[in-house]
Amino acid sequence: MIEALAYPFMQRALAAGLLIGLVASSLGVFVILRRSAFFGDAVAHASLAGVAAGVVIGWPPLFVAAIVAVGIGLSLHRLERVGRLSLDTILGFILPFFMAVGVLVLSLSPGFQPELLSYLFGSILTVGWPGLATTAVVALVVALGLARLGRRLVFATFDPEGAHAAGINVGRLLTAHHVLLALAVIVSISLVGIILVNALLVIPAATAKLLARSLRQMFLLAPIVGGGGVLVGLIVSYWLDVPSGPAIVVVIGGVFLVAWSRAAWRARRVRGASHRGGL
Amino acid sequence: MTSIAGMPVLEVKDLTVLFEGQERPAVEEVSFSLAEGQIAILIGPNGSGKSTVLRAILGLVPYTGEVRVLGMPAAQARRQIGYVPQRLAFDLTLPLTVRETVRMPLLGAHGPEAEASVQHFVEALGVADLVDKPLGTLSGGQLKRVLIVRAMVTNPRLLLLDEPEAGIDIGGEQTLYELLDRLVSHHRLTALICSHELDLVFRFADQVLCLNRRLQCTGPPAEVLTAEALARLYGPATALFRHRPGGDR
Repeated sequence: MIEALAYPFMQRALAAGLLIGLVASSLGVFVILRRSAFFGDAVAHASLAGVAAGVVIGWPPLFVAAIVAVGIGLSLHRLERVGRLSLDTILGFILPFFMAVGVLVLSLSPGFQPELLSYLFGSILTVGWPGLATTAVVALVVALGLARLGRRLVFATFDPEGAHAAGINVGRLLTAHHVLLALAVIVSISLVGIILVNALLVIPAATAKLLARSLRQMFLLAPIVGGGGVLVGLIVSYWLDVPSGPAIVVVIGGVFLVAWSRAAWRARRVRGASHRGGL
Repeated sequence: MTSIAGMPVLEVKDLTVLFEGQERPAVEEVSFSLAEGQIAILIGPNGSGKSTVLRAILGLVPYTGEVRVLGMPAAQARRQIGYVPQRLAFDLTLPLTVRETVRMPLLGAHGPEAEASVQHFVEALGVADLVDKPLGTLSGGQLKRVLIVRAMVTNPRLLLLDEPEAGIDIGGEQTLYELLDRLVSHHRLTALICSHELDLVFRFADQVLCLNRRLQCTGPPAEVLTAEALARLYGPATALFRHRPGGDR
């Protein structure tokens, strides 16, 4: 592994992976709190329309995808309020609609698009310095955003009416959260791809939820699982010479399964004890 | 009806709430005012607009008319209002502790004043031994007291409670109202409560507001809670059954 670290591409991959792992899993805690685990999937799949438009018009595909994703992030809360539809229903429209638009736009572009596979499944080992710099900027924006808005966001997520009553502008706050999520999703696409991006948002935060005894612990554990999982996944992918995106998701998923089994075992033990106590 | 400074804590004038798509207002031209230290209880049948009045004061629903808190428009006085919802839909499996829940409105303030406020109210409401427990493991009565602490930690002057007795057993209801009564008298507080429990209303309210879209009557419970007024409010099948003459507050 030491020799691998000597390669600049590996250094960039590890740095970008760690940043994305930390950022996505931290935002993922709010995704779990809001019970909107579908968000990442919908925005990632919808961003295919942006990728396709970028390929066709010759602009950087992820830049166009970011415009689409941020646009969705900015409008979601408003759509929720005016359209009499729940967030899940709106996301259920956004995912297939934008993905279908993406596929139709791509069909206008003649020939095979090999780089599309990297957007679908990720290719972190090909991340260049500009990609790493972009990831670092997004990570910084998300970190600053969470530091500034985190506590209000927890309140607004847990009890929107109570937060509004306390003078918090819940709509603006949730929109800011959606935009941060959209940015995190877009940079995560370069790591694990559109198909697996939701794993980085949901699995580390869900694992932290199973292990934590307080919300504070959940916020501390999620980035440890996310960032650590990405690093271990990258190392595993290098050793076994397998694709990095799926390797990362399998590693994080493995940690989740262990935490889930532990939680299930503890719950069964508690039930057993109370049953015996009842007899 | 006025505080020491001569200003009502809450003034509601011609409050009307018309929901989108509805022809008839949910609440129409409701006016009342509350003085410092009062417990006012809104009564009325289901759908009479009790919760809507609270939600309008909180700015959660659009309304016409005027709502002033301590002389200021309600929107500018949000930090002076504490709110205890009837129910809180949350994921019971969240690892959220009571301490984290009651600290939410403080938005990260860690000063000695904030800590003292949290400590004072968790003790006053009898939840000090629950602070490290997950919220999802509490009983209905414990959860309600935690929500009252959460509403109180910013030291509001006006406390709004939407059916605080909901989900609590009969003995717990009385304990909760006794706690509220103590809070109001010890903290320069004014409370506006929605309730269906006329027995509790009779014993704890300083002022009763009878609502059925419009304000039907208002005044001290002994004057307002008459058989005729209740029959007018809830329908002719309603009878007044006083099993504790004079109350025991």
